[in-house]
Amino acid sequence: MSNSTAENGASSYSGTIVAVNAVIAVAVSLGAVWVVNGFNVFYERLDRVSPTVEGGGIGAAFAEGNEIGWLVFMVEAIHAIDVLMGLFILVMVFVHWGAFRRLASRMRQPGESRAMPDGGASTPDDSGAENGGERR
Amino acid sequence: MTNLDHGKFTRMTTVFHSLLAMDVFFLFFTGYAIMFNDELWWMLTLMGGSGSVAALHRVFGVGLLALITFWALMMVTTDTGRSNFSEVMPSPGDMKAFVQDIQFVLGNADERHPNARQFAGGTADEIPLLSYVGKGVIFIFAAELTLLSISGLLIWSKTGLMQYFATQTAAMAFVVFHGLLGVVMLMGVMFHIFEHGFHPAFYPVETKAFIPRSMIPEEHSDDDDEGTGIERLQLSPSWASASNLAGAATVIGIVSVLTASIYDTGYPVSTELLVGGGPSNLLLTVGVNIGVLVLFFGMVLSVYGNLVRIRWEQQMAEEETDGAEAEAAD
Repeated sequence: MSNSTAENGASSYSGTIVAVNAVIAVAVSLGAVWVVNGFNVFYERLDRVSPTVEGGGIGAAFAEGNEIGWLVFMVEAIHAIDVLMGLFILVMVFVHWGAFRRLASRMRQPGESRAMPDGGASTPDDSGAENGGERR
Repeated sequence: MTNLDHGKFTRMTTVFHSLLAMDVFFLFFTGYAIMFNDELWWMLTLMGGSGSVAALHRVFGVGLLALITFWALMMVTTDTGRSNFSEVMPSPGDMKAFVQDIQFVLGNADERHPNARQFAGGTADEIPLLSYVGKGVIFIFAAELTLLSISGLLIWSKTGLMQYFATQTAAMAFVVFHGLLGVVMLMGVMFHIFEHGFHPAFYPVETKAFIPRSMIPEEHSDDDDEGTGIERLQLSPSWASASNLAGAATVIGIVSVLTASIYDTGYPVSTELLVGGGPSNLLLTVGVNIGVLVLFFGMVLSVYGNLVRIRWEQQMAEEETDGAEAEAAD
């Protein structure tokens, strides 16, 4: 390919190398800016402990946490409320789960023929067995 | 056929319910992606990192403020709204309904109390506007949303809050309070999804909250049946497995979220600087993610409820034109 030209006695640069180096230079400069962008402090993050980071992350350097009495109480009270309400909500889930199961057992089961509320027996034609119990 | 019990909500209420649900779901997804980032790191990444998630959370927060202000105005300025206050007030019947529900599950009562019935049968006048659970939901969610809005506004500008409380940690304690406050709502919404998605007569979604009462014909055959008439309905073949799966997911979700909230006490700045949880706690990570799955499923059901409404609207319109054509033919 192109080489240093001996004709004018001066060495020149290959076009390919120029292009490749130009691309590398742009990538390096963009990459550098991209890396430096990480130095930007997002203030919401500044005060957050990132527990996954070794040493506890940013914010773990606080010697003491929140020390305002009523604020501590508020946070602890809401913890207690969370637990109490959580247990209550679990009870409600189980009560409804159980009630739903009982109600479901009263319904016509899938594939079962139409129930006769007045106690009449279903006729053989009405059994729904032939069509797999599908009644539309 | 669609199983329609009595629609008792107005069109305004049903539309409001859907909008509020969407807004709250997105507040949950963004807010708890931040608070439970140990377990939901993938959600945080998916939504563009903590900066973009916090921005999104604020956008939905503004939406919530607008929605609850609108609702409060509607309740105070309209006759319908004011007259519904008495319907929402807890009554001794509600306490009885709760006790009877437990008795019903234990097999000591034959029927659910009228104040507990979701599938009521009979006429619309015979059952209250809201079940005892419905009243509880209104009260707890109203209190929660009010406190969440106030604390949310307070922490909108951290630096603004710091000037009143001198330290960053004190300001961040309000963030902690805000996050922990939402946990009650988070657990309540999971239950709400199970309650209205998995009633055997309504499975997969109770349409009461989506089809307004103006669209439900109030006509009944006058056969005086004992009970609710639920025995006439056919159980969906998938109900048993679906309800067990959803019930288990709801329980796991509630327990995990509760546990995670205790682990993450004082997050982002702990009172004791002990931050628990973390991805090493695989069980909790799986559990919290199941909880999020329940929420996502609730969002899907909310959309489905609206689809059912649209289908119902079309069906009613078709029947009307058919009826008109038949009349014209006569």
